[in-house]
Amino acid sequence: MVNKRVPDWLNSSLWSSTPLEDDERPSRQSTNTTTTISYSPTVEPTLDPPTPPAPPSPTRVEPEKPPETKDSPSNDSHSSDLSYNDISEEVDSSTVDISRQSQLLAEISKKVINIRDLRRISSQGIPDIPGIRSMVWKLLLGYLPPDRGLWSLELTKRRLQYKQFKEELLMNPSEITWRLDKTRSCDKDNSKSESRGLLSRSEITHGEHPLSLGKTSIWNQFFQDTEIIEQIDRDVKRTHPGMHFFSGDSQFAECNQEALKNILIIFAKLNPGIKYVQGMNEILAPLFYIFRNDPEEENAAFAEADTFFCFVELLSGFRDHFCQQLDNSVVGIRSTITKLSQLLKEHDEELWRHLEVTTKVNPQFYAFRWITLLLTQEFNFSDSLHIWDTLLSDPEGPQETLLRICCAMLILIRRRLLAGDFTSNLKLLQNYPPTNISHLLYVANTLRVRSIG
Amino acid sequence: MVLVLALGDLHVPHRAPDLPAKFKSMLVPGKIQHIICTGNLCIKEVHDYLKTLCPDLHITRGEYDEETRYPETKTLTIGQFKLGLCHGHQVIPWGDLDSLAMLQRQLDVDILVTGHTHQFTAYKHEGGVVINPGSATGAYSSITYDVNPSFVLMDIDGLRVVVYVYELIDGEVKVDKIDFKKTTTVNLVFL
Repeated sequence: MVNKRVPDWLNSSLWSSTPLEDDERPSRQSTNTTTTISYSPTVEPTLDPPTPPAPPSPTRVEPEKPPETKDSPSNDSHSSDLSYNDISEEVDSSTVDISRQSQLLAEISKKVINIRDLRRISSQGIPDIPGIRSMVWKLLLGYLPPDRGLWSLELTKRRLQYKQFKEELLMNPSEITWRLDKTRSCDKDNSKSESRGLLSRSEITHGEHPLSLGKTSIWNQFFQDTEIIEQIDRDVKRTHPGMHFFSGDSQFAECNQEALKNILIIFAKLNPGIKYVQGMNEILAPLFYIFRNDPEEENAAFAEADTFFCFVELLSGFRDHFCQQLDNSVVGIRSTITKLSQLLKEHDEELWRHLEVTTKVNPQFYAFRWITLLLTQEFNFSDSLHIWDTLLSDPEGPQETLLRICCAMLILIRRRLLAGDFTSNLKLLQNYPPTNISHLLYVANTLRVRSIG
Repeated sequence: MVLVLALGDLHVPHRAPDLPAKFKSMLVPGKIQHIICTGNLCIKEVHDYLKTLCPDLHITRGEYDEETRYPETKTLTIGQFKLGLCHGHQVIPWGDLDSLAMLQRQLDVDILVTGHTHQFTAYKHEGGVVINPGSATGAYSSITYDVNPSFVLMDIDGLRVVVYVYELIDGEVKVDKIDFKKTTTVNLVFL
């Protein structure tokens, strides 16, 4: 019913110079001012239940926020599965959402935040209020300490640290040698000295010259790093080509790309064991997007530094998936995929048998991308943000949660999979059909309960 | 940060078989952005070798070059600097600073690179800087047999140039550097 509509981002307020509300409902689809590619239907006459009252304005950090009258994650899904939603379910979920939302807001406005409670509340989804997701993610990833009073101290420290990283690691060898020289000899200004004659030769410091082949030579290291930097550059340019935030000719997009590149280069230099692997850019993108779109100016200005540390934290649980040598080890990607297989076998043996034995669809063909890229490539951008809410907040840890969600993804389309052969199943799994995200997360949640029993 | 290799007077195969091994081991493709060669290669094989180091190759004709179509002089702009290139046998007295300064003014360049004397020199005068990278193979010159193989690598970074001089003395590579800045001769029109 809504398949043929013009996508809503085309009608969004971004395109007009004066921001206007494209419908009476406050934006459910956009987190903040920049574009998102959410295809949520905003005007859905059938889904216009009596609007629930606005939430009681709690003591929030960000004072001026358009009051969200309703946050139904279910509405953010693709249209095709909207048939699952009853109107009554809408109303119920909306009242549940309100209370959950106000719970969340109450929790994060406390002076000392209880991270366990925060996890519990946010694992059901974080409302799309500008700035909230950014703050909650920072708390969940341990970047911000639970005690609000320590925030400014911690932030200043980290942001300064990042600045130092940039200065140390992003300088090219010319500049480095120049600075070394300046400190060594007080810079006598040659231009003022005798106007003609032989130029004086001076010794080089530490045997450093551009053609040096020494292992410790900054020049040599620089040339070796150039390869990685080129790879990072290529990948960043290809990240989310449909989003104006990331790609295009605008100054804004170029700044963002520059920031992504810097983060990845610094990460690669600080982690010589793993350096840069294709795919890290995809994991970085949502983090940077959220932090950069924080309505609080200071946070947005320092988004690069914040993203770097959160990226490191997020990746720390998944690093081993990116290390090729560990592929076949207990911690590598293959073993994680096997765990997924096991999980599926536990919960739906029939489907498992059909996939792995009958149609011989090796889980590596589809699960590899699901797992290493944390499902960013399988759903649209805003859906993957919702999934990440659960991923980051679940007390079981991101890896376990990820596996459960993948398992739920398989179970949700079991009918189609059971009816399909190798080619059609593979095609289906590699292009996962749009689905109701909250339903998916709900099913994933039930898997947890059952596996304990 | 642009790396420019300046070399010349190789005289391969007449006076020298090849570049010294230690030089060749350092000169790997991928590091250098431009090569300027004063001339007297003399054969095509040397041209091809230099081309593998860097695709952007500029050569001027020396009196023994077998390729007749190289120009007598060449100018190019790299970053903020204008470079001039000439073999130098045309400028007499050979190696004379004043005559070279005259050539530099004619070409209107900041850095003039010439060869022919097979001796490394770097002069400064009012019009700019003259650099002679010497002979990269250590071939004998019309003036002397006592020649050390040498070449020059310039690191152009904004308004600053660091000239690294590579010489092979007694079988060892010695590297020195020369630092100079270009004073911004801003167009007076805008002041």
